[in-house]
Amino acid sequence: MKLTLRSWRWELILVVLIIFAAIWSSTLSPYFLDPVNLLNSSQFFVIFSLMAFGLFPIVVQGEIDISLASTLAVGSVMIGKLAVSGIPMVVGLPLTLLVCAALGAINGILVAVAGLPSLVVTLGTLGAYRGIAFIIAGDIGVTGIPEEYLTLGSARVGIVPVSVILVVVVAGLLTVLMAFTRFGRYSYSIGSNHRASRMAGVPVAATRIGAYALGGASAGFAGLIWVAQYQSARGDNADGTILFVVTAVVLAGVSIKGGTGHAPAVLLAIVLLGTLQTGMKLANVPGTSQTLVIGSLLIISIGVPRLVEIARDKIAALKPAQETTTIKHVEVETRV
Amino acid sequence: MSAGIKTLTRRFSFTKGAGALRGRFIGVLVFLAMLIVVFSILNPRFLSFDNGRSILFTAAILAIAATGQSLVVLTGNLDLSVGSIMGLVAYVVFDISGKVPELQPFVLVIAILIGGFLGFLNGFFVSVLQIPSIVATLGTLSIYRGFVSFYGNAREITSGTLPPWMRELAMAIWLGLPAYVWVAFTVVIITGLTLRYHPWGRKLYAYGSNPEAAHFYGFSSTQIVTGAYTGAGIIAATGGLLLGAQVGNINSLLASGIELQVLAAVVIGGVSIWGGSGSVYGAAIGAVVLATINNGLVMVQVQEFYRLLIQGAAIILAVAVDALVQKRALGATTRRRIMEVES
Repeated sequence: MKLTLRSWRWELILVVLIIFAAIWSSTLSPYFLDPVNLLNSSQFFVIFSLMAFGLFPIVVQGEIDISLASTLAVGSVMIGKLAVSGIPMVVGLPLTLLVCAALGAINGILVAVAGLPSLVVTLGTLGAYRGIAFIIAGDIGVTGIPEEYLTLGSARVGIVPVSVILVVVVAGLLTVLMAFTRFGRYSYSIGSNHRASRMAGVPVAATRIGAYALGGASAGFAGLIWVAQYQSARGDNADGTILFVVTAVVLAGVSIKGGTGHAPAVLLAIVLLGTLQTGMKLANVPGTSQTLVIGSLLIISIGVPRLVEIARDKIAALKPAQETTTIKHVEVETRV
Repeated sequence: MSAGIKTLTRRFSFTKGAGALRGRFIGVLVFLAMLIVVFSILNPRFLSFDNGRSILFTAAILAIAATGQSLVVLTGNLDLSVGSIMGLVAYVVFDISGKVPELQPFVLVIAILIGGFLGFLNGFFVSVLQIPSIVATLGTLSIYRGFVSFYGNAREITSGTLPPWMRELAMAIWLGLPAYVWVAFTVVIITGLTLRYHPWGRKLYAYGSNPEAAHFYGFSSTQIVTGAYTGAGIIAATGGLLLGAQVGNINSLLASGIELQVLAAVVIGGVSIWGGSGSVYGAAIGAVVLATINNGLVMVQVQEFYRLLIQGAAIILAVAVDALVQKRALGATTRRRIMEVES
């Protein structure tokens, strides 16, 4: 029990922070806690959640993918193009997901097989995929998308938007994937020590490529939600959102060096960021000033535990020093 | 083994490692030359003096920012907050100097102080708190940018309130080249010489190529990393000041998103992302390469989108070459070590 509590401590902190943020937001506006308003504003974060879920296994493996927002753009313009040319969604969606997974896999191959640093590779593909999205969509982008593709943006079960339910379901699936499947356990193993994992017979390259392909596919799926919510697709969709997504994953307690982190925490981190942003919107804080709070949250959430750790190390370093001196003292006595 | 063969082997393997490293720098130059040839075949007007001048002018600020970034990359870290530092410094400094005209001659000093402080903060987070540099500077990217917006309250600084001499500098042409190019040149050379000849610079390389060995040698990682970030902050501040004067009307979003361009310039310029190798001259040429691609694609009337595609491909190509060079250099040193142990 104690161990469980300790390993889920970060999630506990996140929940506490969410509660504080929610209380703060509700003092700003009585409408904040209104369920309809709450669900409406949560819709805005569906796209970010899906991208963060896609990024999560990659970060667990100790790598990063900053090209996901560009992959999303490719996904959204592909969906848009396929939709206006009259292709039904049962064909259009899998096709798009496949292409986006392939884009992810290219990243994965460059990282896992060619051994290039993931940050730089995905910096390159961040530009390249954005270029592809523009080439597909042209200058103007795609509009006039048929109803069939837009249902995910407006459909509701009762008062709950379907897209929000979808996010919770995907979070559940991701949790199972990371906690109970071979792929998930390999991911943690690779993230902790990829050399040792290779020695132990873990298919490192394949698992890495798999994670990147999965990330690409989930970005493509986020592209579908984008089209459904905004009813258009352009090459510059989601430009610059990757920093928010990385912030969410890091805030979820996932070490950027890999090997740690729980999938549900990613959802909690998104909820926390969402609550804060919605609250600040209610308080009329302009969008660019909001980044001040979110950035500080990121630094503090990692910096403060570090400070505590450093302080603890300093104290611990003092203690054994005393013990060794006493042992020496005893030794001297026996020798005498 | 005879001494003669030993020295011969040593020299041979040494040349191989160093040659690989030098080859990378030459590779960037060859790539630039190839770009120039291709673009001038496609559009003869590309090769005009005016166009060359315009390429250098666009490259100047990017080259300055890339020089600062190189300091950090040499230590094996990253600074994603460079654009935010540039924006913050430009906004705050020109705001202050607009309100208090007496301070106008001192804008550079104020900029360096602010930039140095922001860089120091980055260094503190990375070295003392040991937050991975991507995460720490991602955080400060948001913080610094958010601060400008908070401080500025959606106001825009108009070009009329800027110090007149800064405005003139932005348009001045000295000895046939824009003043900005000369400034960039100076910054790159000074930084390059410092890295090459000053102990501070050598420590950066030593730490970057092997942090543990540097630690055992008695170097303080905190000092080196914080120093690199502070230096990067100061150089970024200079770049921000120039960019602000060039743009004229400054809003809170100035230079946002430039970090990826800067990183691209550094990587294309052959500064190893693993730290410890590469030069600021390379990074500056990387900036020129990016500016050449941008300019050339406009000249041959290729759509804007292909620029992104080609830039992305260039980055990946550069890092692939980097990886290859790294492997060869490493292989050479390992072989040398084996030879020495045998003898």
